[in-house]
Amino acid sequence: MAAYLSKTGLVGWLTTVDHKKIGIMYGIAAFFFLIFGGVEAILMRTQLVLPDLKVLTAETYNGLVTMHGTTMIFLFLMPLISAFFNFMIPLMIGAPDVAYPRMNALSFWVFLFGGLLLNYSFIAGQVPQVGWFAYANLTSKTYTPDHSVDFWILGIQVIGLASLISSINFFVTIINMRCQGMSLLKMPIFIWASLITQVLLFLSLPVITIALVMITADRTFGTGFFDPGLGGSVVMWQHLFWIFGHPEVYILILPAMGIVSEIIPVFSRKPLFGYPVMVYSVTAIGFLGFAVWAHHMFTTGMGAWANAFFSLATMMISIPTGIKIFNWISTLWGGQIRFTTAHLFAISFVAMFTIGGLSGIMHASPPIDYHQHDTYFVVAHFHYVLYGGAVMGLFAGIYYWFPKFFGRLLSESIGKWQFWLYMIGFNLTFFPMHFLGLQGMPRRNFTYAPDQGWELWNVVATLGAYLTALGGVLFLVNVVVSLWRGQKAGPDPWDGRTLEWSLASPPPEYNFAIAPTVQSTDAWWHQKYPGLKRVEPQYQPDTPETPIHLPNPSFWPIILAFGITLLASAFFFGQTGLYVGAAGAVVILVASYGWSYENP
Amino acid sequence: MQTVSVREFIEVSIQNVRRLALRAFTQIGGSWHRLVVLGPLGWAVVLYSAGLAYADPQEDQTVSGRYFDDAPLQFSPSLAQSPMYTLDGLTDWGQDLLYVYGLTTLITIIVFLCVSLPIIYVLIRFRDKSAGGGSSGYDDSQPLPKQVKGNTLLEIIWTTIPIVLLVLIAIPTWQTIFRQDRAVKHIEQGGEALKVEVIGHQWWWEFVYTDFGVTTANELVLPERTPVIFSITSADVIHSFYIPKFGGKLDAIPGKVNRLVYTTPALSPAASVTGEYYTGQCMELCGLSHALMKFEAVIRSEADFKTFIDSHNVPPVVNTASEQRGEQVFNQCMACHDIAGTPSAELPVAKIGPNLSNFGDRRTLAAGIRRNSMVNLKAWIKNPMQFKPGALMPALELTDQQIEDVAAYIQFSTAKTPYSGR
Repeated sequence: MAAYLSKTGLVGWLTTVDHKKIGIMYGIAAFFFLIFGGVEAILMRTQLVLPDLKVLTAETYNGLVTMHGTTMIFLFLMPLISAFFNFMIPLMIGAPDVAYPRMNALSFWVFLFGGLLLNYSFIAGQVPQVGWFAYANLTSKTYTPDHSVDFWILGIQVIGLASLISSINFFVTIINMRCQGMSLLKMPIFIWASLITQVLLFLSLPVITIALVMITADRTFGTGFFDPGLGGSVVMWQHLFWIFGHPEVYILILPAMGIVSEIIPVFSRKPLFGYPVMVYSVTAIGFLGFAVWAHHMFTTGMGAWANAFFSLATMMISIPTGIKIFNWISTLWGGQIRFTTAHLFAISFVAMFTIGGLSGIMHASPPIDYHQHDTYFVVAHFHYVLYGGAVMGLFAGIYYWFPKFFGRLLSESIGKWQFWLYMIGFNLTFFPMHFLGLQGMPRRNFTYAPDQGWELWNVVATLGAYLTALGGVLFLVNVVVSLWRGQKAGPDPWDGRTLEWSLASPPPEYNFAIAPTVQSTDAWWHQKYPGLKRVEPQYQPDTPETPIHLPNPSFWPIILAFGITLLASAFFFGQTGLYVGAAGAVVILVASYGWSYENP
Repeated sequence: MQTVSVREFIEVSIQNVRRLALRAFTQIGGSWHRLVVLGPLGWAVVLYSAGLAYADPQEDQTVSGRYFDDAPLQFSPSLAQSPMYTLDGLTDWGQDLLYVYGLTTLITIIVFLCVSLPIIYVLIRFRDKSAGGGSSGYDDSQPLPKQVKGNTLLEIIWTTIPIVLLVLIAIPTWQTIFRQDRAVKHIEQGGEALKVEVIGHQWWWEFVYTDFGVTTANELVLPERTPVIFSITSADVIHSFYIPKFGGKLDAIPGKVNRLVYTTPALSPAASVTGEYYTGQCMELCGLSHALMKFEAVIRSEADFKTFIDSHNVPPVVNTASEQRGEQVFNQCMACHDIAGTPSAELPVAKIGPNLSNFGDRRTLAAGIRRNSMVNLKAWIKNPMQFKPGALMPALELTDQQIEDVAAYIQFSTAKTPYSGR
């Protein structure tokens, strides 16, 4: 095993500041939480297989609805994307590590503790039941007197802090630490997607942070931001939430788009079609993403002009998105297409995301949204975007980069089984939901009446969900089997195009023994095919000529993260909370002091 | 008969899975050793079974063990059979929405074909047919495919065409939005329309006919072919008012009034006596029993609507001895419920329960979830929480006889029109 894995023991992992190890921990944590989110989904689909069942109580179902959405977005997709950011960004830009290695560790531990805090609600028996969007004033002390909403509020607050820290870190890393010659328009497209994602993160997260502070104040100190009785506005919460929540959707989809844009050229043996336009499209999607939040609120009665404006702004997003889809097809066109599992997932991303995008255009028009809003049509839409889109794209990334992470290939045969189970299961689950939406079936209902004519498509959807679960199990089996006895991967198993494939698999702790220089995009490819004829390339040597300084491991990030979570949990203890909070503050102060004077 | 056994089969299967899950839970969950060995799969099993075990609704049985009245299952692929089918558009506004809906659907299907057909073509036509085997994984002796980096003209084309398509969608979209806006403004500035206040409550609907001083609940009576303006708001949390066959939905928001205008559909001759019923439901997650917050809209002839309005506030007619006793029992209900023309309506407190003045005429009870029958009504009064988890109505300490009497009073004395939906 590689240097960065062997230099371990438990303490090694707890104190690591190596971006590759942190990336792997992010990945493990993401799949740990995926099991929660997945089981929640399966339980819900079991409850809904037929009308009027009592597999779950109303209370449990509403809790699962909330936790499934929150978990899949904040505890599965975001950390899995973070895993790719961590592992791949330094390798693809030719850097030894991220800009702030200890901040990177801090962000991971804060995320992990936040996720555990949120899920502690199951153990406490007070599971939030207000939906992942937690609309006021259902979240007020009057309508949710117990602590269930507090778990959601404070969990998200802590997790959001983690994302904020890492977004600044990656932004600085990409801006400052690119290797010689890699100007902005020579960066791999995944790096571009990552860069824009960081901007979206640090512009949108403060909004939810403030909104969460306001709702915490409403619940704990009796202020009235969202209490109409005290002159507050419940619609204001929706604005604040979606000003964060809509860019959040692009935060989840842009990295997947970046990954797919890396994979399709490799397995088509052609450069990405229209690289500059792809870059402009990502940027345009990112920034338009801030002008469309109120399309989640067409039915709140914002007024004709607001609906008209946000409708138009939303439709405009489909223009850069359409360009990307046609550019991906053009990349495939005339290529030499290999159907590896990674490529299958990447192509299915394009297809599934197209379906999700087109149904999105439908409810971008308020007259259509008046019907589709809060029906299963919308459930179908965003699962096509976030599951058929983002998750398929991320699985493509896992199959593609797994050999770089661990030095062994994932099994292609199990992989293809997983892919087809996913594709069939996914479409069986979510395509019928379009029909249920047309039949007016409301979302987030723990049961439904038998005389509504919704039976057939619900049965189909549940069967599909079980197939997908089987696919998920196969993936875990594949990981275990392949780590144990998978085919050994050389440095460049796919004939890759970007810098990470010049490194050993897995890469040494310092990444690049010789700092690379690049002249163009796809620098590694051009080294292998200088005159369009393959020559043996110069791989990175195993040992550096001069020792490379690497940051020392540190205990402070995990301690500081613990202090932050302790401070957040103070809100659960009433009066005693003052002492808990004080203890948390002391831990934060001590850890910050130790951190500052530590020799990195 | 066939369909009912499907339900039994699935319910028995789920029960068996629950039993297996419980066993797995005690086997695996009881031993950390096994959990470690089984790894993530063990976790998944433990969570799945814990979910089923934790949620076991043993104590949550309603009279028949169900939330709704039993009905045979229908596995029909026909979408339009659903009482909440969204593509009927029976009002003028509904028609407007459908026009945009149809146009946009057509455009998206065309775009879908323009994307999916090329993908399928490309995947078949350009798949790698070489033997492979080179150090790249391909056959290195073969030439590379043509290294195309882009094509400005093509990219301009697929930027422009979507813009044109979006304009095609945007124009009727804007027209529809502003037409509805003008319709609301027109009525607000004195246009003729029936005014109905819609107030969402956890988990039932209140309808107030402001011009007539009539307050009713859960059954929205409307005259045919009449312009109606709804003023929609909420008494507690956010709800959403939706009658799919009439048109779209609009949120009921505390501290805010949303207005909606349309002309009600005509009454078909077949339903001229019974009235035509349409299903409505709350569409915004509003707490524990959100799924059980339905209502019915009923379209009646001009004359029948007038009868409804005129008879609504007439005192109930008490006929039998049981109803008479029930009238006395109802004194315990007065703190929350009104029946017009009785002492309950004089009580100077804000009523948090539905107005029951014409309860006997309504087709359903408990906000549209059950048929309005004596069996269901008695069961509801005995324990409302079993019908509707979290309902504010307490299970009063009444004897079975008292329940029988008060149910008779509420149901028969308040039946005021000749066309009771029951």
